[in-house]
Amino acid sequence: MSRKTRAFAAAGVALALGLTSAACSGNKSDDKGGTTSGGKSAYNAAITDVVNPSTTKGGTLNLWTAQDADFWDPARGYYAFVWNLNRLYTRKLVDYAASPGKSGLELAPDLASAMPEISADKLTYTFKLKTGTKFDDGAAITSKDIKYGIERIFAQDVVPGGPVYLIDILDQGQGYKGPYKDTDANKLGLKSVETPDDQTIIFHLKKAQSDFLYLLAMPGAGPVPQKRDTGAQYNSAPAASGPYMFKAGSIQPGKGVVWVRNPNWDPATDTIRKALPDQINLTVTTNAEDMDSRLMAGTADIDVGQTGVQATARTKILQDPALKANADTPATGFIRYAALATSVAPFDNIECRKAVFYAADPTSLQTARGGPIAGGDIGTSMLPPNIAGSDAKYDPFNRLQGKPQIEEAKKALAACGKPNGFDTTIAVRNNKPAEVKSAEALQAALKQANINAKIEQYDGAQLSSVIGAPDNVKAKGYGIQIAGWGADYPTGSGYLQPLVDSRFILKNGNYNLPLIKDPSIDGLFDQAAGETDATKAAALYEQINHKVMEGAYYLPFVFDKALNYRNPRLTNAYIHDAFGQIDFQALGVSDGK
Amino acid sequence: MYHAPVTVDSRCAVAGRGPAKQMSLGPEASVTDDKSAPTADAADVRGPAEKVIAGRSLKQIAWRRLKKDKVAIGGGVVVILLVLVAILAPVLVALLGHPPDEYHQDQIDATFGTPKGSFGGISSDFILGVEPTSGRDVFSRIVYGAQTSLTVAFLSALVSTILGVIFGLSAGFLGGWVDAVISRVMDFLLAFPQLLFSIALVSVVPYEMLGLNARWSRVLVLVCVIGFFGWPYIGRIVRGQTLSLREREFVEAARSMGARSPRILVRELLPNLAAPILVYTTLIIPTNILTEAALSFLGVGIPPPNPSWGGMLSDAVATYSISPMYMIIPGATIFITVLAFNLFGDGLRDALDPKAR
Amino acid sequence: MVAYLIRRIFNAVLTLLVVTLVTFGIFFMVPKLTGSDPALLYIGKTADKVALDGIREKMGLADPIMVQYGKFLKGLVAGRDYANGPDVTHCPAPCLGYSFKTEQEVTPLLMDDLPVTFSLALGAAILWLIGGVATGVISALRKGSLLDRVVMTGALAGVSLPIYFTGLLASAVFVYWLGWLPQGQYVPFLESPADWFVQLLLPWITLAFLFAATYARLTRANMLETLGEDYIRTARAKGLPERTVIGKHALRSGLTPIVTIFGLDLGSLLGGAILTEAVFNLRGLGYQALQAIKGNDLPVILGVTLIAATFIVVANLVVDLVYGLIDPRVRLG
Repeated sequence: MSRKTRAFAAAGVALALGLTSAACSGNKSDDKGGTTSGGKSAYNAAITDVVNPSTTKGGTLNLWTAQDADFWDPARGYYAFVWNLNRLYTRKLVDYAASPGKSGLELAPDLASAMPEISADKLTYTFKLKTGTKFDDGAAITSKDIKYGIERIFAQDVVPGGPVYLIDILDQGQGYKGPYKDTDANKLGLKSVETPDDQTIIFHLKKAQSDFLYLLAMPGAGPVPQKRDTGAQYNSAPAASGPYMFKAGSIQPGKGVVWVRNPNWDPATDTIRKALPDQINLTVTTNAEDMDSRLMAGTADIDVGQTGVQATARTKILQDPALKANADTPATGFIRYAALATSVAPFDNIECRKAVFYAADPTSLQTARGGPIAGGDIGTSMLPPNIAGSDAKYDPFNRLQGKPQIEEAKKALAACGKPNGFDTTIAVRNNKPAEVKSAEALQAALKQANINAKIEQYDGAQLSSVIGAPDNVKAKGYGIQIAGWGADYPTGSGYLQPLVDSRFILKNGNYNLPLIKDPSIDGLFDQAAGETDATKAAALYEQINHKVMEGAYYLPFVFDKALNYRNPRLTNAYIHDAFGQIDFQALGVSDGK
Repeated sequence: MYHAPVTVDSRCAVAGRGPAKQMSLGPEASVTDDKSAPTADAADVRGPAEKVIAGRSLKQIAWRRLKKDKVAIGGGVVVILLVLVAILAPVLVALLGHPPDEYHQDQIDATFGTPKGSFGGISSDFILGVEPTSGRDVFSRIVYGAQTSLTVAFLSALVSTILGVIFGLSAGFLGGWVDAVISRVMDFLLAFPQLLFSIALVSVVPYEMLGLNARWSRVLVLVCVIGFFGWPYIGRIVRGQTLSLREREFVEAARSMGARSPRILVRELLPNLAAPILVYTTLIIPTNILTEAALSFLGVGIPPPNPSWGGMLSDAVATYSISPMYMIIPGATIFITVLAFNLFGDGLRDALDPKAR
Repeated sequence: MVAYLIRRIFNAVLTLLVVTLVTFGIFFMVPKLTGSDPALLYIGKTADKVALDGIREKMGLADPIMVQYGKFLKGLVAGRDYANGPDVTHCPAPCLGYSFKTEQEVTPLLMDDLPVTFSLALGAAILWLIGGVATGVISALRKGSLLDRVVMTGALAGVSLPIYFTGLLASAVFVYWLGWLPQGQYVPFLESPADWFVQLLLPWITLAFLFAATYARLTRANMLETLGEDYIRTARAKGLPERTVIGKHALRSGLTPIVTIFGLDLGSLLGGAILTEAVFNLRGLGYQALQAIKGNDLPVILGVTLIAATFIVVANLVVDLVYGLIDPRVRLG
């Protein structure tokens, strides 16, 4: 049930945003078949290294996807792969560094000439902009374009869809309605952001927010030229600040997109992007199987959905060492889990929640998600292995041994006062086959402990008003809710806060599904927000994770993974940890075609 | 969204209003009858008096003919077997299988999610193999699937028949504006993208209602939807037959003797319509089986974990390229069932209407 | 004749109006029944109240149903503007509204899908018409022969096979096992006729097989009936060559009903072959419809329904007209 709800392709496998991957440890060694030396292609080589490093320009990159983008408008997109592709045409003040492993999680100045100057009270961020940066029409990019871009996020009535973190932080009681309803002559009425001159932009915060820069690295914080803003229609022709621009009229929903070089992009101003191919085509297909065979035949370069190949290709790739050498199984940063609603009896009792934890069969749930390679590692806690603060050895419910623990479950049931079991309901989205399969597997396992669960499917598109509405959950008695989550930015807060902080409980669009109301957890998040030392913050996140697991609110199924294939002709291929996907902007083609 | 080949009867069309208006029913590539619509039985055409001369009732004649048709009898036997299987599902599963929702992870290769054994994991323990990913017993799921499939097919055929007879009789017998309205509605329903609508309707109805569990409430919904879209098919035939019977002597005679409409309907017309109604009810059952499976295949049929044939095929889409057996078994089951009903229905029609052969 | 035509066209339009009204009504009620909010469907993820109100305003979702329906009809005929304050979107006629899911205009969205469905339906139609009628005629002429029995048994099996089984089976054999044909992926005809052909071959054959089975049975029955008619016997008695008897007389009236059914089958297929498109992942009208239904995407459902119904109604009309022309027993008027 991540916010990137719609991001899951028909495959129903994982989609990432948030970090990942082997470099941060936690990746089990048994699925790392290949070695990674020398930049040569090998199984899982792209997780830790750049495969086929090159600076050769030219050629056409053929991207494919089985799932169309949600929005190309940077303020509206929310799919992980769309954020990743935004790096081609949207620059931000700061952006993720272009490198594999942990270093990719570091932010680097992009439109800003340097990292911001932060005041001692951590409430004021001052950026100076680079000179010589231009939009695709040749207009210079100014601080006002950046402020205007951020203001558009406030116009949720006109351009909804994207993340709204910046509204929460920058509105500060002003009630700003976005530039379309702005009474300011220049449409720059948002008070918390100042643009004293074209090269300077200053952000004033109400309270310290150590993750603030990550929010500015989201595509929605990119510059938008006011004179080219056409409201909802901006989506069909967004301006480009990066090395590629949309070829005129090339955005064809459900079919594809073509990017060509942006003649006004100056490589001297950009330390992040390589811009190797002359042209980039994205083809949208309805047939994921066909896409897989094209990838293996070399007529498609990469699946930008990065949600993993289908069963047919999975078998072929894993059985053929030559194909396997071009495949990776990065962690996507998602955890698949069941949330146990404390508002629905008997899950108000922690022992009954524990009974579910023990009765669940870790292996059948893992198989339902696609098995150890294509599905992921058995989930043990609620912090994905690559977010700082997680601990692969932390397994409070002894799930790694892979078997249901019926005796423990029966003890918990007795402690809960339900020695003969109980009835409950599993709510699951109808448009995610793997989630339905997980629900069935959970149902079958719970039955062994006399917990009779019925499965209720609901329209996945209605997520925010079905399981995202606590009143509805209570009324319908959805004791168990199947969902999944990936972070919007790679920190413990970015991952966990919407899931477990009581202040994030909403009447609609709620993600704190168990309705966890624990002041000590909330307090730890506040502490972390003021903590600039990453190690100390990680220790706080570890504490939060433990508290969540001790409360038995979320039953983690798997730490999600996806088996993806890359065309051998690709150069500079590596998994970017911020997305759990190949870094598309870095790719080039070796044959110049 | 039908595109079943349709029943056409040029004679009916000419006799009826205007040029042929066709039947359409069921999802694409489902079956409807394709020969001429059953004019009433030959015996009927001759009129009741001749029956007496022949000394045999229509039933006897038909039964004698049917007995000679070995293919039809074969179909009938399979149909009876299937009904038995559905009724005895719990017993069969207890004897030969495992509970239909029991997981058998030991039968499954974790990496690929496919059965470990060859041919879909068929073994003496799992006589039709196991389901990929979960290891559930395919045999048990097929057997329980038969239960749902046949229940839906029979009940929806019943619904179609009842509605079709009521409206068809009214239209044909009363004529005038009643006929005009009913015919219009039938035309309209046939111009409707039916499969599309069935999917849409089924997908918005709650999973549980009227105190039934998810499986049986969905069965009820399917019965209503499939039954509803099927009635014009019967309705048209009944109307056409009624129209021609209405003008015949024995009806006239009854009327002149002072019989009232209801009595004429029930005593004179219905018995003469019994043959075509029986034939067409039999022939829409296989269509209904296909429609139910189609809806389950498209994800709006019987909800998991309850087994259904169409649902199994739908699940098989993900893995059939590497483990085809899980696709072949439910597919073949549907095929055999539908074929058996078609053979029997064809035979029945031929028996009741020798002219069609 | 002209009066008849006008009446029929009037009736057709009326039917279509009723179809849209019923569809509109049902799907307008759906959100009420399921307790969901159409505005929420436009937004998807963020359930921000401001955003919801904006969408309601813009799409006119707060209006009473008849007002919404009126606006829909107006859009269909004259186009319409969607306005939310300064944010105005013009949707030219024939406007079917905006997809809840993709926020694309529905009309071009569906127009994009038409070529796929057309290619599928027309290609399959040619195959099944030729195959089905030819086998049916041959069977009829050799009634009772071994060939007849084999063909008829095959045809009966054919009509008992659902496409969601034969389609998968054919893919399993020809794509995965033998590797003769590619995974279906529609290629526009103008882009590469060869690829277009190869990619559609399997769907064509699978779809055509099912229809051919029915057509063979139907043709055979009609032919047999015709061959038994007096005038054929007369023709034969007159000593006309068998070829003329069959070719000129029997075929003509024996195949007349086929024309009718063919028109109707084609008409309804053109509105989207949901199952075939689902099995072969072809992004045609049927595929679009299925996706739309699963996502409660009312504007798209309405659009597809309207198009599908239009094809059926038009096919009915055409069939009746053609029928009148080729069957002397039918007089229009």
